[in-house]
Amino acid sequence: MISRTTMMNRRAFAANAGLGAGSVALRSLFASDLDPKTHALAPHHPPTARSVIFLFMSGGPSQVDTFDPKPELAKLSGQDVPDSLAKNVPRIKRAGLANLLASPWDFQRQGDAGIAVSDLLPELGKHADELCVIRSMTHRNPVHGPGECVALTGTSIGDRPSLGAWSLYGLGSETQELPAFITMNLHTDGMQFPQAAGWNPGFLPSKYQGTVVNPAQGILHAKLPANVSTTQREQELQAIQEMNRKFYSSTKLNELEARIRSYETAFKMQISAPELFAIKQETAETHDLYGCNEKTTREVGRACLLARRMVQRGVRFIQIRVGGWDAHGNLKGNHEKMAARTDRPIAGLLSDLKRTGLLQNTLVVWGGEFGRTPTMEGRSGGRDHSPSAYTTWLAGGGTRGGQTVGHTDPIGYTVTERPVKPLDLHATILHALGIDAKQLIYDHHGLQENPLGVTGGSVVSEVFSST
Amino acid sequence: MENTGAGQEVRSGHWKRNGLATERFTINGTGGRNNPLRKPLQSPFSDGEIFVRFNLRYDLSGLDSPPEATGEFFVLWLDESEGTDGSPHAANIPNIGIHVHNNQNRFMIRYNSTNQKFAEPLQGNRNYAIVARLWKSSPKKLEPFDQLSLWIDPQETQELDPDISVQNRKSISTLKWIGFATGAKTEIEDQIDVWDIRIAKSWREVMDLPVEPADPNYAPDMEQPPAKKTVSFRQHIHPILSKHCYSCHTGEDAEAGVRLDTLDEVMQHVSLLRHADSQLYKVLIDGTMPPEGSSLSSSELQQIATWIDEGLDWDLNLLPVPIPTSEHWAFQPITRPIIPAPNKSTTSQTAPSEWVRNPIDAFIAAKHASAGLTPNESADPRTLQRRLSLNVHGLPPQADSDSHDFDINSMLSSPSYGQHFARRWLDIARWAESNGHQHNRDRTHAWRYRDWVISAFANGIPFDQFLREQIAGDELPESRPSQLIATGFLAATRYSGNELDKQIQRNDILVDITNTTASAFLGLTFECAQCHSHKFDPISIRDYYRFQAYFISGQPQNLVLSDNENSAELATKRWTLFNEVEQRLLRTRRKQGYPEPIQVTPTNVVAQMRPVEKAAFKRMNEQLSSLGQTWGFYSPSTASRRLTVAPHEMRWQLPHDPSLLAKLRGAILIRGDLRARGPEVRAGWPLVFGAASAENQTRLELANWLTDKQNPLTARVWVNRIWQWHFGRGLVETSNDFGTQGARPSHPGLLDFLASELIDHNWDTQHIQKLILASATYQLASDTSDKSLKIDPDNRLYWRWTPHRLQAEAIRDSILEVSGRLNHHHGGPGMPQESNRRSIYLRQKRDNLPEQQILFDSANGIITCARRRTSTTALQPLWLMNSEFAQAAARDFAERAKNIETAIHIALHREATPDELQSLGQLEAEFGLSSACLAILNSSEFLYIP
Repeated sequence: MISRTTMMNRRAFAANAGLGAGSVALRSLFASDLDPKTHALAPHHPPTARSVIFLFMSGGPSQVDTFDPKPELAKLSGQDVPDSLAKNVPRIKRAGLANLLASPWDFQRQGDAGIAVSDLLPELGKHADELCVIRSMTHRNPVHGPGECVALTGTSIGDRPSLGAWSLYGLGSETQELPAFITMNLHTDGMQFPQAAGWNPGFLPSKYQGTVVNPAQGILHAKLPANVSTTQREQELQAIQEMNRKFYSSTKLNELEARIRSYETAFKMQISAPELFAIKQETAETHDLYGCNEKTTREVGRACLLARRMVQRGVRFIQIRVGGWDAHGNLKGNHEKMAARTDRPIAGLLSDLKRTGLLQNTLVVWGGEFGRTPTMEGRSGGRDHSPSAYTTWLAGGGTRGGQTVGHTDPIGYTVTERPVKPLDLHATILHALGIDAKQLIYDHHGLQENPLGVTGGSVVSEVFSST
Repeated sequence: MENTGAGQEVRSGHWKRNGLATERFTINGTGGRNNPLRKPLQSPFSDGEIFVRFNLRYDLSGLDSPPEATGEFFVLWLDESEGTDGSPHAANIPNIGIHVHNNQNRFMIRYNSTNQKFAEPLQGNRNYAIVARLWKSSPKKLEPFDQLSLWIDPQETQELDPDISVQNRKSISTLKWIGFATGAKTEIEDQIDVWDIRIAKSWREVMDLPVEPADPNYAPDMEQPPAKKTVSFRQHIHPILSKHCYSCHTGEDAEAGVRLDTLDEVMQHVSLLRHADSQLYKVLIDGTMPPEGSSLSSSELQQIATWIDEGLDWDLNLLPVPIPTSEHWAFQPITRPIIPAPNKSTTSQTAPSEWVRNPIDAFIAAKHASAGLTPNESADPRTLQRRLSLNVHGLPPQADSDSHDFDINSMLSSPSYGQHFARRWLDIARWAESNGHQHNRDRTHAWRYRDWVISAFANGIPFDQFLREQIAGDELPESRPSQLIATGFLAATRYSGNELDKQIQRNDILVDITNTTASAFLGLTFECAQCHSHKFDPISIRDYYRFQAYFISGQPQNLVLSDNENSAELATKRWTLFNEVEQRLLRTRRKQGYPEPIQVTPTNVVAQMRPVEKAAFKRMNEQLSSLGQTWGFYSPSTASRRLTVAPHEMRWQLPHDPSLLAKLRGAILIRGDLRARGPEVRAGWPLVFGAASAENQTRLELANWLTDKQNPLTARVWVNRIWQWHFGRGLVETSNDFGTQGARPSHPGLLDFLASELIDHNWDTQHIQKLILASATYQLASDTSDKSLKIDPDNRLYWRWTPHRLQAEAIRDSILEVSGRLNHHHGGPGMPQESNRRSIYLRQKRDNLPEQQILFDSANGIITCARRRTSTTALQPLWLMNSEFAQAAARDFAERAKNIETAIHIALHREATPDELQSLGQLEAEFGLSSACLAILNSSEFLYIP
């Protein structure tokens, strides 16, 4: 097994042979390195996924109304959480114990494996045999911002690298014409502000940060200005590069060489990025599959379709953040609206990935920063935040569909079996990409950092097909 | 609660009468000292706080009006001893009552004649309800009741707002008696009625408010250990540990880093009060430990279990808190080094004495000599002028000056200097203008701190003052507005408005402030010690929480700058109205059956206001916002004066609550877990630097220690930052980590020389900068030499100048400058991205920073950033070529320059080369001059400090 440090040194030595610089210098050179020869790196073990599409359902979808059926909840509706269960509920804020609220939706056992999916998500239900449903996700932070940081960076502070940044650090980029980590933030109305930590590089060099893309606009500034032709740009680039080569030769600074290459890449991106976003090329049937033609589903549908196109073009990590699941009042209205926005596009994505064969090596992840309480919040007909037990599902990328992992108590409040922490999920996702998270080392001021930090995490191995 | 109509009977109808409060007493004076009514408490009282209450009516006919007569004296006292009928109580005993002040009979609280405060005048024939709170700032049995507050006819929401308060450390620590006394001024004909006298343990109790569910926001959320311990450390536990554990698990090199010879470390391995969940117990019961020798007997195991369940009894005489020592270079005193003499004996051409312009060069030359390096020639005047301008001002030199002369003094007195260097400090201060986290509301007054930092650099305020005002501005004797603004450093922390758990909310802020302060001024990474004693540096978990305790009694607030009695009264009225309506809303919801705990947002409260209240509230908010405010850090119990706090936008705020703040105590959180509260600690700096004062627990004390000439770190850390800001890399490369894991200085002597210079020149930052800028080292050409590259490829020994990229702000500002669009207006609230002001004035909203800052590696305003990276991505050229900003700049630049020669001169301060004239000329011919100008703006030469 080759540690990331070894890979990096090997690469840096190749790039700077004979300079004999110390290791700190190597890293600082590497930070500004854009050498195309060294883009994709060798994984630790054979990967089962080449790309990840993380469908981040921000606000916290309710587990007991989606993928974790609790018939007991209907029986106890209106009552307090029984003492026998209440004693296990962590004493954190928002963990109300009064007035259990039955799910307004029925559940159906779907597919050959009979995975239960609620009537809220009929289209996704048809893909039940693709889903590996982890019902035992758990952490302790019941607040959106820090919770989102926990879900995407492993800790609540928001200063550590995001999962996407780690995956780039570990594997590099397969595309030289597009950013390798792209994040799309949808439905960010209300107070559902995206946490930049979710795509930030933390202490990793900023080349690993996610590029925020508006699905309707494409990559910012990738399009030539209206009055500039490709010929003009080519000549401008030529003039710029001439000046830059001259400046480089007088200073021999590596980062200036990297600057020269960055203009070449940018030029390619000007062509390939608009091409990526030209979804008109897709058939009418495909547009329909993702719900691109309907108002409710258009935004998520477009993003999902783009995600598939990104996967095809070698983008490593795609994050689609759909805000709005925060059903404090009127659970029914909120979740119906959110399901209407997402059910068909996400089901469409799974269908499309499957029929194109991409699902085999594309890992799709669905889940929020936490779930919701089985009790009613106040008297509003909604549910409060609850990180004690919530559901995330995986599909494709070597995972075994049609199975559930973990168990929750009879009302879905706490995990009773096989708790999975966000960092366990991260270890699992990285594992699918061929990365052993414990071996992925970054030297941060002398601290040997890895994606699992001080608290650690381990791969949920049962999600993968038995090999 | 409402007044019961007739007369001014205050609430007596609702009083339960029991104990002391069963009767109404009429007291007459004697014209001498007298002690007419007294009673022992049921049991002696020495806990943290006690409330007393009595109703009072002073007969008008007996009331003297001084100075004609002598006035009145009447008090309720609390004491250890009863006294006798005629005997007075000693000084320093808390008294609550009436005394003459400025020719009026006024309500009064006093310990003695120098520790007394007066409130409103007493009116005769009127019923008063008097409430006092007597409490200990350190709630320990033997600590004094040093705090006394008084309310006259209080409202139930007024807990945080007593009429007067007084302090005295010499007060008693135990109460046994309570009683009333009259004095020489109380004549025989005076008739004083007191009734409903009672004592209570809380405000709610003394005010007859319904008992609320325990407030989880402040009560430590943990079980209390049993008061009586059956297992003694010395007698039972120490022998067990000595026998089975101490051969491996003691001292700094303890096996597996597990040491059991200090309480703080033992705590890390147990779950307090729960032996079954404790790692220490588990490894003993399952036989993992001890790995060799005999296992523990069942009675020994039982004693360990009980020891844990009883809260870990310890004997500090037997095993005291260890005082760490360290050989680490950065913790040793700074001594002024001898300046190396120019090396004449060497055979190479190294370090000619004429190369050395000032002591900096002497240190640099000495290393050149030993490495066999020959430094470059000095850069040409044009390059130097560009270097200085871009490095010191963040802008290219003015194009209209044909001379390449420069005057360092005048460069450092230009406003551009302050604007450019302030940004570097703002990186370290993780400053931004919004709260961060989910709601991320704007901090509309935070800009004042930015302007303060700019003016601090521009006016050259000494670094010790710079530090002191930021850490303790509210505690400085005058706490002037500029000093309050400086506390924006502490207040720049993120603050989650969506956090209902007040303990977490406060803890997150404290952790951030502790870590930021330690790395900003001490260059130490404290964060590891939050959960466990530092693995590498001699910083224990106790040190961490002692350091944190300096900040515990304060919080970020909007502070009114020009405050006076009127603004204070305005703010009080505003808060009182808000609190009243909030209480009303809570009562309503409670009646409606909302489950506890009932949460209401500020918006809910405002919505609940009656039209008259709403109008008044709106008016008061407007009046408050018309007063100058700043986003600062304020600790009511340690500030030098009482400040007026204005509201801020936030959904779930920390309570505006001076008395609760004063009650907060630092404590070790076991493994950093807020729910595992360990022993309380007093404020102090890390023990490796010596003991802190146990008396003075203020941030000012911390600031004084930090700026003490003996402090080994502060000056070194600061001069290293200055060096980094000029050369792109510090003498210590890890400029926020001077600990054992940080880099060692490349030039230790030079670092200490600069640190000594700083201290000896009154902490004058510009003195250091002038030394640097005037040195031959700073002025080296950037040319490469194969020989030198081979010896020192990274230029760690400064044989040449290493060009480095402009920072994000300077890139944008330089483009604006050459295109003639830079708006030099300065100061004031943050500007939108479209503004043409310098980038430092663009609004810094967390998670939504201006685009070019994100693209070009700016600090993120979340955690302290000591050194920005330089990353190179393809998105940068896209912005530099395609953005509307770049396109517009290129057009304006073209319009200004009129031709390529001038454009090159404006942007690069040199003649155009024939090659450039040809390639750029072609662009101009085919696509217009703006196309050529765009190319120039994209050139590395334009974007790098040469």
